[in-house]
Amino acid sequence: MTEVSHDRSACRRARGTPAPGEDWIAELTSDGRVREDALRRLHALLVRGARFQVSRMSALRAMVGAAQVEDIVTLAADEAMVAVLSKLATFEGRSRFTTWAYKFAVLQAAVELRRAAWSRREVPLDAAPPLTEPRPSPDQYAEGAELAAAAREAIDRVLTPHQRRIALALIVDEVPIDVLADRLGTNRNALYKTLHDARSRLRTHLAGLGYATPPTRSRGEAR
Amino acid sequence: MNDAQRPLPTEVLRRLTTDPGPWLSCDDCFRLVDRYVEGLLGDGGEPPHAELAAMPAHLAGCSACSEEATTLLLLAAEDAGIDPATALRRLPLA
Repeated sequence: MTEVSHDRSACRRARGTPAPGEDWIAELTSDGRVREDALRRLHALLVRGARFQVSRMSALRAMVGAAQVEDIVTLAADEAMVAVLSKLATFEGRSRFTTWAYKFAVLQAAVELRRAAWSRREVPLDAAPPLTEPRPSPDQYAEGAELAAAAREAIDRVLTPHQRRIALALIVDEVPIDVLADRLGTNRNALYKTLHDARSRLRTHLAGLGYATPPTRSRGEAR
Repeated sequence: MNDAQRPLPTEVLRRLTTDPGPWLSCDDCFRLVDRYVEGLLGDGGEPPHAELAAMPAHLAGCSACSEEATTLLLLAAEDAGIDPATALRRLPLA
């Protein structure tokens, strides 16, 4: 626990207000029926989080079938339960305990469903052809056919072979990052770092050619 | 698939060249995401801590983390009895 969180806890005690999740932590670290009841409620909460996550992934859910989806929800909740209990000491009370706990179930459920849905699908990695757009669509004319052409050239010439392979798999072929990590024997962090660096290279190159590259977009700006 | 069948649509181009922002790993995003979504759901609507400053760019660039953060925001909003619409509009779109 950090100095800051010690200070925050002291302030809450002084005001007489419980820290977020204080009851959960106390109950989960107690004995007997109090702990058993807290464990039961925590598992129900994690099942809810896992089920809600898979309910939002309709395309992947349809690929695996209802029975396997239910197995994924159960497995994700069980694995999240282990993770939450093993990390209780790291909970600092900076969010509600329930929000903190939900994220373990959400992550497990999403990862498991992506893996299951792609378990029999080929991941195109070795022979990614060059990107081409022989006849740009009308919206590409409107938004910058020259930029698209410069970007295609940059992808082939500016990125390293590894950056190109990862960027195209994740963005063009839309291979889930967890699935790609499994197939390549690496992890989500390493792949996202490669994509992060590839984007930086592309943007620097395109800016050097005088092109304005897209800013970050929020849902409020989505069309 | 040959070259002519592998186009680069505008939306794909946007996602390839989106601003990656300051580096934040997926592990650190996971560590911070509960605080971040509750910040978005709060009265001010903006995450108050400097430690969270790299979250928007990460969520805009990582579709998996973005998908999971959206779920977490919806769950947290429901538990808190808050309409998530405003916070969802502030959540970066990957």
